[in-house]
Amino acid sequence: MYRLSDFYRLSAALTGYEEVELQGTGVGSVYCQTLSKWVRQDVIEALYAQAEQIGALDNDASQARFYDQIWNSAKLGPVARNIIKMWYLSIWYQLPADWNALYGVDDFSADKQPVEDYVISSNAYIQGLVWNALGSHPMGAKQPGYGTWAFPGDTAKTHNLD
Amino acid sequence: MTHHHNDYDVVIVGAGIAGAIMAKQLGEQGKHVLVLEAGTGTDGRFFDQGKEQGYESYMERFFTAMAKIPNAPYPNNPNAPQPLVTDIQKPPLDKPVSDHGYFVQYGPDPFASTYTRSEGGTTLHWLGTCLRMLPEDFELQSRFGRGRDWPISYQELQPWYEIAEQHIGVSANADVQNYHQIDNPSVQLPFAENYNYPMEQIPQSFLDQYLAKGLQGMQVNIDDHTYPIDVVATPQGRNGMPRGDYRPVGAVGNPDLGQRCAGNSNCVPICPIQAKYSALKTLEQAKQTGNVTIETQAVAYHLAVDDNTQNISKVHYKRYHSTDSAAFEDKAVTGKIVVLAAHAVENAKLLLASNVANSSDQVGRNLMDHPTMLTWGLMPCKIGAFRGPGSTSGIPSLRGGAFRADQAAFRIEIGNWGWSWPEGAPIATVPDLIDKQGLFGPALRHKIAEEYPRMFRFGFLVEQLPDPDNRVTIDDQYRDQLGNYRPVIHYKVTDYTRAGMAQAKEVSDAIFQRLGVEPFTQYKTSDPGYVQYQGKGYVYNGAGHLVGTHLMGKDPTDSVVNRDQRSWDHPNLYLVGCGNMPTIATSNPTLTMAALTFWAADNVLNALDQY
Repeated sequence: MYRLSDFYRLSAALTGYEEVELQGTGVGSVYCQTLSKWVRQDVIEALYAQAEQIGALDNDASQARFYDQIWNSAKLGPVARNIIKMWYLSIWYQLPADWNALYGVDDFSADKQPVEDYVISSNAYIQGLVWNALGSHPMGAKQPGYGTWAFPGDTAKTHNLD
Repeated sequence: MTHHHNDYDVVIVGAGIAGAIMAKQLGEQGKHVLVLEAGTGTDGRFFDQGKEQGYESYMERFFTAMAKIPNAPYPNNPNAPQPLVTDIQKPPLDKPVSDHGYFVQYGPDPFASTYTRSEGGTTLHWLGTCLRMLPEDFELQSRFGRGRDWPISYQELQPWYEIAEQHIGVSANADVQNYHQIDNPSVQLPFAENYNYPMEQIPQSFLDQYLAKGLQGMQVNIDDHTYPIDVVATPQGRNGMPRGDYRPVGAVGNPDLGQRCAGNSNCVPICPIQAKYSALKTLEQAKQTGNVTIETQAVAYHLAVDDNTQNISKVHYKRYHSTDSAAFEDKAVTGKIVVLAAHAVENAKLLLASNVANSSDQVGRNLMDHPTMLTWGLMPCKIGAFRGPGSTSGIPSLRGGAFRADQAAFRIEIGNWGWSWPEGAPIATVPDLIDKQGLFGPALRHKIAEEYPRMFRFGFLVEQLPDPDNRVTIDDQYRDQLGNYRPVIHYKVTDYTRAGMAQAKEVSDAIFQRLGVEPFTQYKTSDPGYVQYQGKGYVYNGAGHLVGTHLMGKDPTDSVVNRDQRSWDHPNLYLVGCGNMPTIATSNPTLTMAALTFWAADNVLNALDQY
């Protein structure tokens, strides 16, 4: 699972969540497979390698290198941003057509590119990081209990009917 | 007991809330009832919690839908097509018509509301708001010289409101909902002495409490009158804590679920545990009487009239076998009495297609909705957005008043789900944080944590007057794949309503300023509902409140049904649903429609005694 561990390490840097938090969602391997389905393996490897070389983003210099070599790279930037969106929103967005022509999966036949943006799975929707980040629960799932909406949102108070 | 004959005491067209109430009331009195439903049945899905075929299959559809619109969980059906919010466009200036989707729209403004054609009807995805109308709402013409008067008064409808509230299982407190605490006599509602709702009011959200505190003592001026601004809990058809011996109906077929709202924050489009009322609960009670048969995939398309009696002699319908094919069997059925409960637009369409009940030329006319204007912004502190039922409170202080002679009244809904309606947050907005603002890692996480819990929006449900030119018609050019008519709609938002929108925006601005809300409201000329008033732009959305296409009145020359909700033209034809309502006023219409339907069922039972 060398690549999955690479995927988690990169994902932690991109999402702002700890690796252990990402693993706790249970959908990391599905996202890793989704990435491999739509992006050429050598591009993914290049992304991992570049991220490895930059290391922890704990100072201005490493962050500047990250922007320069990953975020603003025509080749790697769109992939990095799609990984963040997968984790937060559980959606795979189509990559730009000009990017696809250069770096999409080797087989350029039509069925090798998604025809539209799609939700990766119902479980992925439920595990979307955005709900946790905004201090709530996914709409339609992980119900917090009767009356909890009356409590201030950012306290640790739990279900209490009194 | 199953009724095997092809003639029934009563044939009901439509298995939504109105048809369900009618069927239950008649079935309980031993009447043999057939309900024809154009859409598909639930195939037991709502009764079965299993994942493949059960209720969870609707949840799966919702979870994986990119556009989480009100009809998202419910399969599309080309044999009983339905309008979708994603179909709504501005009717184009360079072409006479916009026929994108099910509706054919001539404008000049787009009609922006939708409904669901399926067993259970639009209650599958309604919000559950259960407000009564005000006494003055029934007398708009005599009090304000606007719109029409109803042939019945608030006092006459009051006992039926109580029956409807008990049946739906409304959570609210009567001594709050009579609005006695609001310093505006126009909005105060008389409740019967000692009456209370079956369940205690649903807790108000943290946002509601924050607003109530911040707006204490606030007033606005309209035409030299001072009106208060008060935050009040909204009555909801959603299970709260029962009073006394009352026990709410749980999930359909599974009473262990749905006993209390659990805060799934998903009332529209689908409550995962059925803690919100849906007509399927009433339909189940109707079936249990043993006297009610529900035939789904049965699209009524023609009513035949007996020339001697003027009675409806037959209901013709197309029974299709599957949603995959347009193949159908042509069938007909007889009822001593026929009740149309197929929704305002579909009722009008069926009447027009059959050329019945229209001696007044009012069928299809006076289509109304609540053009709903939104305002949104960021609260100065976290108010816990994206939690709880869609709305737990509102500001009802401006639902009535002397200003209605000049401009529309409106109700303010307080939304608990942040910017989900105006901006599609969070799903539609987070990509911009990444792509446009270049955020990732802890900065992205921090931005969402600090900003999204402060997201806030109002919804202004603005009154619209009955206008004979706002109408549903039919046209041979436009048909669906079964050969049935598609609704052709002419619609405009007049200055009376636009003035209400402008007033609402002023009130919103004053509230935002008082609370320190950073405004983010944007009305784009490209929005389908963009309208102007006195040089300023506003945007309305559909509320899903379709009212007025076969309205009731005192005079057969200018109304379609009488106060019994019986057709003036056909002695055995009753119409039910929001189409009967002569004015829309400011309350969500489902409760009033349910109350009227209980009344109509009583009238049908009395009429059946004569057969």
